[in-house]
Amino acid sequence: MTFFTVVIRGLSRRPLRTGLTLAGISIGIAAVVALVGMSRGFEKGWQVGLKARGTDVVVTNRGGSLTPKPFDASVRDRIASLPRIDATCNILVEVTSVEDSDLMILSAREWGCFAWNNLELISGRMPRDATEEAAVLGQTAAEVLKKKVGDPIQIETKQLTVVGIVKGGALVEDGSVILSLPLLQGIIGSPNQINAIDIRMKPSSTEQQIKELTRQIEQLVPEVRAVTVSEHLSHNEGFRLVKAMSWGTSLLAILVGVLGVMNTMLMTVFERTHEICVLLAVGWTRGRIMRMILYESALLGLFGGLVGVAIGAIGVQVLSATPAIRGLLQPDLSIALLGLSVVIAVAVGISSGLYPAWRSSRLNPSVALQAG
Amino acid sequence: MTPPSASALLEAKALTREFDEGQVKALRGVDFSITEGDFVAIVGPSGCGKSTLLQLLGALDRPTSGTLLYRGISLPDHPNPAAYRAREVGFIFQAFHLLPTFTAAENVQIPMFETDRSASERRERAFELLKLVGLEHRLDHFPSKLSGGERQRVAIARSLANEPSLLLADEPTGNLDSENAHSILDLIIGLQQEQGRTMVLVTHDPTIAGRAGRILRMIDGRIVSDDKR
Repeated sequence: MTFFTVVIRGLSRRPLRTGLTLAGISIGIAAVVALVGMSRGFEKGWQVGLKARGTDVVVTNRGGSLTPKPFDASVRDRIASLPRIDATCNILVEVTSVEDSDLMILSAREWGCFAWNNLELISGRMPRDATEEAAVLGQTAAEVLKKKVGDPIQIETKQLTVVGIVKGGALVEDGSVILSLPLLQGIIGSPNQINAIDIRMKPSSTEQQIKELTRQIEQLVPEVRAVTVSEHLSHNEGFRLVKAMSWGTSLLAILVGVLGVMNTMLMTVFERTHEICVLLAVGWTRGRIMRMILYESALLGLFGGLVGVAIGAIGVQVLSATPAIRGLLQPDLSIALLGLSVVIAVAVGISSGLYPAWRSSRLNPSVALQAG
Repeated sequence: MTPPSASALLEAKALTREFDEGQVKALRGVDFSITEGDFVAIVGPSGCGKSTLLQLLGALDRPTSGTLLYRGISLPDHPNPAAYRAREVGFIFQAFHLLPTFTAAENVQIPMFETDRSASERRERAFELLKLVGLEHRLDHFPSKLSGGERQRVAIARSLANEPSLLLADEPTGNLDSENAHSILDLIIGLQQEQGRTMVLVTHDPTIAGRAGRILRMIDGRIVSDDKR
């Protein structure tokens, strides 16, 4: 028999209670995995989308909402001549409801710019020109909207025709309705308005040169913000809100987990007062008693964490396959996130075992062992 | 103050123990000296303080005043009372106090965690000890599956786990029928005599006390007689 056996024996003493406590931690950790995984996936999806288009720098209005406020398209002309810019593309993005889908990305791009180049036709064709009343659908968007080539599609007040289905190399692209810029400007009644300019730098531009360009743009046009693709999302209020909410909710779930484990461990200490006194009487040190209780609670955390990570990972996959979310969100479950979740669970276990362990070590063996 | 006599294993002087801020006086000044190898019975009516005294000897409790020396070292000031309990003392209780979630062999191994023995050495020693008390066929039984006599045998094996010099027994046969009580008593006394251990046994049964080499009689927190035979 090893010390570990003693610890396991302590936990298996009340299998139902241990099981329920494990379930409590697991749900908390599953929430962490699911929420944080989703928010990271959301963020990463946009980032990959921008990179797939070949965008290095994004110019937006100074606000930070998810779909930034529109500004005048003439801004592009003021910055296009800056050094090291290879190409620019005026963009107007809206997240809105399209037919039966509540959340659909409408991505309008300046006709002929580089943001069209990464789209790979699966069926049909690209629009003929900037004014053809046509749209192409990312493959996921087509599935969600149940459209095929030749079908009509209602965008706000205007009916367009689906002329092609495309693969965009990124989740956001695949989940978008893509159309030419003047068409969407016409539909929403704001000609010359855009809400982003995607900029592609000359090949072999260094990180430093990209930074330098963003600085120059902001100097030239003070009302806009120019950021690199990865910075773009961390500045975005929408993403920050999603991140804060997911961690906030997770923290609450973890707190509930802490209270659950602490309750269980305190009960176990009270229940086992007699046993702990026997251990003290046969010579166990108070340190060893504390270790026993702490190992038990740490183990609860570890098992709860492992189960929670499994539940969270599976749950999030199931969730992201539901029609409402599909195409918008691919959860990002990195090993680091899963590992961090298990570490959090063990920390939950240890921290909630501290007080019960201290209580157990304060017991006075003489009281409990009076001959009955 | 007289220095402790060279051969005394335990020596008490003016030992008192009060509870509830002096309202209850369990020990009212106890003096005695116990020599290594002695078999001492402490007898007296319920509440006379004999169990309290035993707990002081086992460092499970601390005296209110007076001195209590083990091999010349003050027990209340012992730097490591847990180590004293683990290595020097073996406890045998009336209610056995086995751990219900551990088998007989595991219960015997529990005190050995405070030694350098490896897991396999612990297992081996538990087997030897259970064989010594006649339970080699009950190694993997949980206490709930053992009779009262068998449980006390496991507890005796446990008390011997770390080869203590001092055995402290608190009414060890109090929860047993007369037949089991008899054989348990024979076992304890046999182990004490064969291995030359010191034993302090608390009982209210005069026939059990009669088998000890020395009887300390207590009434109302004081030793009233000390019969050496």
